[in-house]
Amino acid sequence: MNDFSELENDLKALRPARPSPVLFERIEEAMTEDRKVSAASNSRWTWRRFTEWSRSRASDIEGRLGRAKEGRPLTPFRLGIGLAAAAAAVALLIARINTDQTRNEDTEIAQDSPSSQTKPILPSFSGRSGVDESMSSNKFVPSGATQVVYNTRNEGLQFADGSKQPLRRLRYQTQQTWQWRNASTGASLRVSYPSEEVVLIPVSGQ
Amino acid sequence: MDNIASYENWKNCFSEIGPGLLLFARQWTRSAADAEDIVQEAFVKFWRRNHQISNRALLYATVRSIALDFIRRDKRRARREATVFAEADPTIEPQFEWEDEAQSALAAAVSCLPHDQREVLVLKIWNELTFSEIAGALGISQNTAASRYRYALAHLKKSLQPQ
Repeated sequence: MNDFSELENDLKALRPARPSPVLFERIEEAMTEDRKVSAASNSRWTWRRFTEWSRSRASDIEGRLGRAKEGRPLTPFRLGIGLAAAAAAVALLIARINTDQTRNEDTEIAQDSPSSQTKPILPSFSGRSGVDESMSSNKFVPSGATQVVYNTRNEGLQFADGSKQPLRRLRYQTQQTWQWRNASTGASLRVSYPSEEVVLIPVSGQ
Repeated sequence: MDNIASYENWKNCFSEIGPGLLLFARQWTRSAADAEDIVQEAFVKFWRRNHQISNRALLYATVRSIALDFIRRDKRRARREATVFAEADPTIEPQFEWEDEAQSALAAAVSCLPHDQREVLVLKIWNELTFSEIAGALGISQNTAASRYRYALAHLKKSLQPQ
């Protein structure tokens, strides 16, 4: 027993006010809407759950991206993103190779020694004819992607043109990051940009 | 232990912890309506992420985080609240259902406590968290939580003594 036991008992006898019944309904409605959003846009919701999961559990983004690559099934959505990312990576690679090739040629004219301070990004690359060959062996492949939702705003109900059913307007602000890695050279490429998405969810009058 | 997501009747779960959660949220808001907004957002967020209800420190940390975000959304509100917290303005009162004058005086005394002490007291008395859980929810050490609790009780005892 301590000196405060009586006071503690008095405090425990003091009951906090109960939440209003409306709060129960509001939480139930929010949970129901959450399920509807999940059913209506399964891929997007899965994606959000995936990013939240990875954000909460992984402190290292590299490890997180690696796990995501290994552990997630390849859906058509991700396959499309992967192909688009691979195309972008190849385009960047070709642009980089052309730049390095020009630099190497300039260096050979100016110096006796062919060794240049600006080394090409692909060690196996040895000439213009070798581009296709080097790309086939040393290419950037998508290694991961994250979409971090850092703000969600409920913008209320609205009626779409010609629709009698109200729609709830939700605005998601996200930060998307795409990453590619070249397994041969160990080089990696990361692109990150903010994005905003507005989603209209039908609200039933139940 | 069940988590909220798999809890078939989540209302039972919320009935148990709701009043305490609401009282905790009231530490940062002037109105019960704002506190209910915070509790709703925190509870749904917790449910959506499949956290275990046994992880009470995380649940209360979520409420606290959302409450602080709620304050930051409105700069005028933030300035006002910051001033209020600094001066321990008694106008931010936890909501209680008292039955007599003694309980009314006790509720008033609780509302006059410094914010950091009242926060710990609310978690300990009306939410029945351990000092370890309080430390996790508030991001402080266990010893700090325990000492704030003792200071709060001493403060209350002193303020309730007849002059």
